[in-house]
Amino acid sequence: MVELQQVSKRFRGRAGEVIALAEVDLHVAPGEFVVVRGPSGSGKTTLLLALGGMLRPTGGKVLVNGVDVYALTERERARFRGENIGFVFQMFHLVPYLTVLENVALAATAGRTSTVWAAAGELLGRLGLSPRERHLPSELSAGERQRVAVSRALLNHPKLVLADEPTGNLDPDNAAEVFEGLAVFHRRGGTVVVVTHGTTADHHANRIVHLRDGRIDGGSGEKRMA
Amino acid sequence: MRTLGLIVREALYRKLSFGLGLLGVAAAVALFVFFFTAGEASRRETARLTRNMGLNLRIIPKDTDMDRFWLVGFSDRTMPEDYVHRLAAHSGLNYSHLLPTLKRRMQWRGTEVILVGTLPEMSAVDRQESPMTLAAKPGAAWLGYELARRFGVEKNDTIDLLGKTLTVAGTLPESGSEQDASIFAQLHDVQAMVKTEGAINEIQALNCVCFDTDRDALEVLREQLASALPDAKVLQIRPIADAREKQRRLVEDYLAVIIPFIVVVCAAWLGVLAMMNVRERRCEIGILRALGYGSGTVASLFLGRAAVVGIVGGALGFAVGTALALTYGPQVFKVTGQAIRPMYALLVWSVLAAPAFAGLAAVIPTMLAVTQDPAVTLRDT
Repeated sequence: MVELQQVSKRFRGRAGEVIALAEVDLHVAPGEFVVVRGPSGSGKTTLLLALGGMLRPTGGKVLVNGVDVYALTERERARFRGENIGFVFQMFHLVPYLTVLENVALAATAGRTSTVWAAAGELLGRLGLSPRERHLPSELSAGERQRVAVSRALLNHPKLVLADEPTGNLDPDNAAEVFEGLAVFHRRGGTVVVVTHGTTADHHANRIVHLRDGRIDGGSGEKRMA
Repeated sequence: MRTLGLIVREALYRKLSFGLGLLGVAAAVALFVFFFTAGEASRRETARLTRNMGLNLRIIPKDTDMDRFWLVGFSDRTMPEDYVHRLAAHSGLNYSHLLPTLKRRMQWRGTEVILVGTLPEMSAVDRQESPMTLAAKPGAAWLGYELARRFGVEKNDTIDLLGKTLTVAGTLPESGSEQDASIFAQLHDVQAMVKTEGAINEIQALNCVCFDTDRDALEVLREQLASALPDAKVLQIRPIADAREKQRRLVEDYLAVIIPFIVVVCAAWLGVLAMMNVRERRCEIGILRALGYGSGTVASLFLGRAAVVGIVGGALGFAVGTALALTYGPQVFKVTGQAIRPMYALLVWSVLAAPAFAGLAAVIPTMLAVTQDPAVTLRDT
């Protein structure tokens, strides 16, 4: 499903060069639920963004479903992202002037309008947000906003969902609900990669990958779950 | 959701931001329209004021004895009255406000006076001009200030002149020139009185400041007259001509600087507003691109918004600028201000140029944002 081959990413700052990822190799099998954990600045978010075609690595290859993501043109990569990958961000990143239903439907870059609205409504219903369909994001709690973001990520029936600290701003109850939403997607055969500090996602995970200083912690770094 | 729908939703959500953007565009366009519309009145007012300095060209027969001319004040030779028609029929000349004149010195009530016969001014064939001088009707006369004062003549009195009775159409205000000792009558009446039918001894005119040339104006005028009236020559009353030309050029140069300056300031203003909007919404660019929207679609959203603000703000600005010019223009330009009219060509320019400037200004930050990796755009917000 996902293959990272010798992926590295360096940033140039005023203080000099920062190595965010150092020749990382990672394989995520179809239908896996992988948690990537590591201290702040270990490169978790960079790994996730590079994996999702959102941040071009300095070196190496990223293959998703056998497609070399960064060999695509910008336009092709955008379409590939829209059709194959769903994103959930820590800061939700909902469009503030669209309603909950519109935010979810926004993910559909193509398709018949009536089908899109119906699918968006169904997803929101599954995550208990039907009564909030006509609300603006600013009228929702943090937990509700993140569930909207999860619905949006799932609208296009992606094969892969990438979540960056999806529960970083949530209380434990809301965090559990968000992970439950991702777990349902996983149980239906989807692949999930979650970057997180916490342990709430652990019991959903097939595997936990530890990242430190831009490298996957070898040996004990990867833990296979039962 | 369609692009226009997203633009409208964003505008409705960020009412203040959209309203301020609209206000900014409208203010910039209004400023431009006001200056441009009022500038036309300023140009016309200056032309009127300088024109009122008086006629500054004297076309006289070529064989005039110039010593005597300066001594007497006019030529003792005549030329056919038809010359004025020939001059008027020539296009592309710098002569305007053509006034055929016949002058004679004579005794009236024991005093030497100057009898002046004129016709209504004629315009050159390629020009429309409002007359600068008053013209006596047949059988009527205008009296100079000094003559009217000394002999107690008033409007509607009758006077006898070389065997002809004329009705006084009015008396002239004090001018401090030979006009104060002159009697003005219709040309054909004067020609009959002095028995020189069909003749004139001068064509007074104004040199039009309408053809740009680096050459001396009088040199050009002489050249033009030689081709139109070979038997005549032209004299220029230099102080009036120079003052008039300098004042006209001064105002035109001023407007030539101020109008482009206003255009540049307004364009920069629109540009800054458009850039601020794009910077404020970089997060949206990142989200939309993360969701799979291509850079073209995202860019059209922002450029479309700039276009909507530009079109609506441009139309609004035109209305406000024109209203201001119509309201305050007449207070500044007392005469020509009344003639200020909405310049609808500016409406077309406003609704085309305002969105173009706003769009151009939005292009750079939008393209910078859409060509970066979405992660970079999101991280920077």
